[in-house]
Amino acid sequence: MITIHNVHKAFGRHQVLKGIHLTVQKGEVVTILGPSGSGKTTLLRCINYLERPDEGQVEFGGKTIDYKHPSKKDILFLRRHTAMVFQQYNLFSHKNVLGNVTEGLTVARKIPKREAEEIAMAQLERVGLADKAGHYPNQLSGGQKQRVGIARALAINPDVILFDEPTAALDPELVGEVLEVLLEIAETGVTMIVVTHEMEFARRVSDHVIFMDQGIIVEEGSPHQIFHQSREERTKKFLHRVSPAYLYQQV
Amino acid sequence: MHIDYPFIWTAFKFLLAAVPLTLLMTILPILFGFIIALLVTYIRLYKIKVLAAAAGAYVSFFRSTPAILHVMLIYLGIPVLIIKFGHIFGIGFNANKIPVFIFVIAALSLTAGAYLSEAVRSGILAVDTGEAEAGYAIGLTHSQVIRRIVLPQALFYALPNFVNLFGGFFHTTSIASIVAVPEITGKAIIAASNNYEFLEAYIAAAIIYWGITILFEWLAHLTDQKLSQLKGGIT
Amino acid sequence: MAWSRLLQIQLLKKGGNILQAFEWHMVVNFIPTLLKYLPLTLYILGVSLICGFIWGIIVALPKVYKIPVLQQLSSIYISFFRGTPIMVQLFVVFYAIPALTAAVGIDTSKMDPLYAAIATYALSSAASIAEIVRAGINSVDKGQAEAAYSIGLTGRQTFFRIVLPQALVQAAPNFWSLIIGFLKDTSLAFSIGVMDMSGRGQTLITSSNHSLEVYISLAIIYYLTAIVLEKIFAFMEKHVKRNETRLLTIFDMNIQ
Repeated sequence: MITIHNVHKAFGRHQVLKGIHLTVQKGEVVTILGPSGSGKTTLLRCINYLERPDEGQVEFGGKTIDYKHPSKKDILFLRRHTAMVFQQYNLFSHKNVLGNVTEGLTVARKIPKREAEEIAMAQLERVGLADKAGHYPNQLSGGQKQRVGIARALAINPDVILFDEPTAALDPELVGEVLEVLLEIAETGVTMIVVTHEMEFARRVSDHVIFMDQGIIVEEGSPHQIFHQSREERTKKFLHRVSPAYLYQQV
Repeated sequence: MHIDYPFIWTAFKFLLAAVPLTLLMTILPILFGFIIALLVTYIRLYKIKVLAAAAGAYVSFFRSTPAILHVMLIYLGIPVLIIKFGHIFGIGFNANKIPVFIFVIAALSLTAGAYLSEAVRSGILAVDTGEAEAGYAIGLTHSQVIRRIVLPQALFYALPNFVNLFGGFFHTTSIASIVAVPEITGKAIIAASNNYEFLEAYIAAAIIYWGITILFEWLAHLTDQKLSQLKGGIT
Repeated sequence: MAWSRLLQIQLLKKGGNILQAFEWHMVVNFIPTLLKYLPLTLYILGVSLICGFIWGIIVALPKVYKIPVLQQLSSIYISFFRGTPIMVQLFVVFYAIPALTAAVGIDTSKMDPLYAAIATYALSSAASIAEIVRAGINSVDKGQAEAAYSIGLTGRQTFFRIVLPQALVQAAPNFWSLIIGFLKDTSLAFSIGVMDMSGRGQTLITSSNHSLEVYISLAIIYYLTAIVLEKIFAFMEKHVKRNETRLLTIFDMNIQ
């Protein structure tokens, strides 16, 4: 239920996105894989206009928005129906956990405080952090911070949640708790677009996998197709390189 | 070396009477300057075309020129402007009636405003841009992101700078002596020339400034401590 | 005091005849006259800061190496010169020099105030420089000194060849602010009778009776000088940091 057409983006002279087409169905979990520099994070950030595409359109919620000249209303519409979970968590450091989660409700959607707090607490329960509602971000571990970030995204009940490498900044032993939450969310039918390096997660949880390299979508398909039946040479090379066997093959 | 020590004490007592005025001349410009700084910051954050250029020029000029020139330009320039533009608006009052003190406060407010603007700016730069992005991502408007996410943290980060500027400004008031305002230095000049005891009078002035500055530094230290405690719960 | 009389005349003029015609062309005329004295102002600035730099490092050392007694003396010195206004310092030094030298029999009461001004700015800048140097030294990673010791450098070699150079690079922006700050402070030297750019400005005011125009000319010259200094520094900084990428700031982020 969200389709983006023909997205181009250049930073200076470097063309990062060279014409991307992407459709995501309601309830789908889409994973985007690719080497660094492939443009996958830029693509994600273009969807909610945190990066400004040079060209492209998005069909979403019954509207068609031109990325070249979006109106303020269009941009707010995009951002009020999507949510993002960041690699660096980006929690509001001067607000406590509850405040972080309610901010999007009370301020952006004018929901009264009590109702917002109920919703927030429900989402915090869901990610397992209800007891930390009064804590401040700097009192939390990385995994906890990211889970608060997820709760913050869930609370606003978006049509689609965008995940920008949610576990990439975490210590290995904390990755698990975040992936667990992501698994649970995926099972409840939330539409998710996830940029990640976690191959197992992508393989098991996605409905659709996209492989990007150098600004274009090289290949896409079901997890089985991509991981076990990839047609493109570049896809195979990438998968080979990120698998553990690659590093130790000489030994 | 002949130093009239008793006179240092006499001068000291004489100059103490000027401390309240000097403190007033420190506080008022800082307060007005803070309002100016908020205005400048608002203009910069919303990138209001023409005003942003003017704000930039204002900050640049008032930080790159000596404060004494600010005082002189305002003191001499405003009356000229009143005459020139008074015709247009029908204002014809005699600018001579305005006491020097007002001009000095006005000039120093502009001076303080420029430095405080930069302090707020560095406070804003210290806020993690990622948090602003997160604000946008959950659908907050630009105005909401600034008011609720960026500014509260920016002002908090800028507080040590503000305290430093306050202490520094206490010294800046000494230039008002050049236009015969009876603050500490002004009174010291009077005491010195009336009694032909120059070194002693100025030593007394130095002692007063030094003492009060040490007091300010102690207050700044306390503020820093309090802020670090708060930071424990915030940053 | 000559300048206070100049001031009284100024105030009388202003009070008595506010309809002094303001003329822009006078501003333009005054600039070359004043510019002739800019080199002297810069000379005062340069000499004071060089002396202040050397003296400042010396004052900083006892605090960095925590030498007893000297450390406390340094702290008091720094506290005094950062705790009093530059104007008061100018007056104190100006009157203290003759008093001190008279005690050893030398008469310096007719000394050119220029030397008192340079002495004041040197002593004053040394205090600020000491603090900047100290902060700079502390900001150099301890590992640098450790690595130096591990390859056999002595304490003195380590300090002067490894630590201090890095400290100065880290502290460079603060030094540059200091330089521009003291440029502004030199504008007060006329109050002890120094005939630098501001001093010449005062004489122009008495002779021409156009005080506002003189101050505008002075402001223009000071402003441009400060801008030039800032540009020089920005150029130097860019050259040193030419490999760093530019960060996005909140000011760039008006995403609407």
